[in-house]
Amino acid sequence: MDTFGYLGQGFGVALSPYNLVTALCGTLIGTVVGLLPGLGPINGVALLIPIAFALGLPPESALILLAAVYLGCEYGGRISSILLNIPGEASTVMTTLDGYPMARKGLAGVALSLSAWSSFIGAFIATCGMVLFAPLLAKWAIAFGPAEYFVLMVFAIVCLGGMAGDKPLKTFVAALIGLFLSAVGIDANSGVYRFTGDNIHLTDGIQFVVLVLGLFSISEILLLLEKTHRGQEAVKATGRMMFNFKEASSVFVVNIRCGLLGFIMGVLPGAGATLASAVAYMTEKRIAGASGKFGQGDMRGLAAPETAIGASACGALVPMLTLGVPGSGTTAVMIGALSLYNITPGPLLFQQQPDIVWGLIASLFIANTMLVILNIPMIRIFTRILAVPNWALVPVIAIITAIGVYAVHATTFDLFLMVGIGIFGYILRKLDFPLSPVLLGFILGGLMEQNLRRALSISNGELQILWSSPITFGVWVLTALMLLFPLVRIYRKRALQRRAVADV
Amino acid sequence: MLLQRIFAGILLLACAGLALMAWPYQASFSYEPVGPRAFPLLMLGLMSLALIYMLFRPQPTKHTEEEPALDRDTLIKIGVCVVLLLVFAGTFEPLGFILSSMLIGIPMARLYGGRWLPSVVIVSLMAIGLYLLFDKVMDVPLPLGLLDVLEN
Repeated sequence: MDTFGYLGQGFGVALSPYNLVTALCGTLIGTVVGLLPGLGPINGVALLIPIAFALGLPPESALILLAAVYLGCEYGGRISSILLNIPGEASTVMTTLDGYPMARKGLAGVALSLSAWSSFIGAFIATCGMVLFAPLLAKWAIAFGPAEYFVLMVFAIVCLGGMAGDKPLKTFVAALIGLFLSAVGIDANSGVYRFTGDNIHLTDGIQFVVLVLGLFSISEILLLLEKTHRGQEAVKATGRMMFNFKEASSVFVVNIRCGLLGFIMGVLPGAGATLASAVAYMTEKRIAGASGKFGQGDMRGLAAPETAIGASACGALVPMLTLGVPGSGTTAVMIGALSLYNITPGPLLFQQQPDIVWGLIASLFIANTMLVILNIPMIRIFTRILAVPNWALVPVIAIITAIGVYAVHATTFDLFLMVGIGIFGYILRKLDFPLSPVLLGFILGGLMEQNLRRALSISNGELQILWSSPITFGVWVLTALMLLFPLVRIYRKRALQRRAVADV
Repeated sequence: MLLQRIFAGILLLACAGLALMAWPYQASFSYEPVGPRAFPLLMLGLMSLALIYMLFRPQPTKHTEEEPALDRDTLIKIGVCVVLLLVFAGTFEPLGFILSSMLIGIPMARLYGGRWLPSVVIVSLMAIGLYLLFDKVMDVPLPLGLLDVLEN
């Protein structure tokens, strides 16, 4: 089978000493970034893009670095959830439910290593799934024309709103803000300057590194001001660090189940790690029934969300690589990184640059293994990092963010723009708007407009092309279902409330 | 709720303004059916619809973390922080990276509850260390500004 041939070739790329060192650096940086409050996978990856570019890394090494940072961040996020009961990311909220009680019971080391192991299995399952399904999807996606792509992107945006839960309207507005912002700058087709206000710095649009860092880092810095005092002390990780065979085998079935679930959720656009971990936790809780001590430090309750997070983080790379349509905030940033290197992700990538794709997939295997091995001896150092107080951390985050922004174009205009976007992001956050749809919209916006215009050029302006082929029609049906989904949920919730009122 | 209404109102006005701005965008000669203004106008239109809905039926705002309500003190702090960041952006090139990051880093560390001496020491060391790391090791060019004299 040529898939395995390609995979071997990929390992050849990823196992070269240079790329191994890159992956190692990436996993370490990623773990630290994931640990620190105020920095998550999205800013971590975004910060490294200009730096990787400045270092002159070849594209496959840069991509390996970013993928390693991405996985490392997901790993690092768990440490603060288990030891501090403070989830570093939205997705690790579920980890705190059983991870922190375990740490309180004196099993901090076991909880950390077991979660590392679970996440490894999840990522492993998802990477295997990726090896099997990504080429098939890519082969199928070659038949996609501009109309299909346009509809697919509409679907991705609608999915975000439909799946993200209780605030579809806010998600929708956030995505539209992003889509609109992508239109700023010179229009490639006609040469018209759009929304630049005659500012030369805006002619090639808003740089996405500036948008990401402003939206996520600066707003986070402002948000941290509200909680200058940290209430909780970290639980000391003492005693046994490693889980034993009995513990691992007791959660193995959970691992497999949640790994598959997480992979599927990761592949779906918009679902992502947060939803995957929540669904995994709830499912396992229901399966365990009365025998489980969920919420009081049950190992299955720790393993389930962690496996799902690991799996969905890798699964999210599937639509990005095969279709060029990112499914999550972080993969959207990675698409931006690829476009800096003039690589267009999509089905053709598998044919034209197999080195990059398969090198990346192989490096996922390697980065995961590295993380599991690193995690166990390094836990003590990582817990030390958690003790860094905010007053020392925040100025450094601000300064590094500024370096990242300045490295793109070396103009101070970008720095001002970053602060402005940061304030806007802070307001959005205070009003409970999700931020990653803004980013996703921004990345998809350019592609969406191009594909829409191309499709309508092909059909000479006939709108019919947007729904005439079976694929487009099918995706529209799915989109409609996704739109109805939150409405049905709201309706059902209201009906329940009404019944509750009637009962009283 | 009120804040959300105000926000939706302002954003709606911005949409209208931007739509007016986009109206004259037209290609001087056109070889494709969809011009440069259709997509932004479509987005602005959809956003306006959503915002009008939000204006009449504000969505519930959930505060997930136990964040304290915004009081006067925090608002002042946030204002100061924003000013510091703007000063940073303004002095980045004229003063140079090291001086400007010290200039804003030290007050910022104070703002987050650091004491004077440790703040000064850590921020200064970090400013110099990060300069060396990024400019010398990683080839990210950073301005030296006033410290240019030291270079030669």
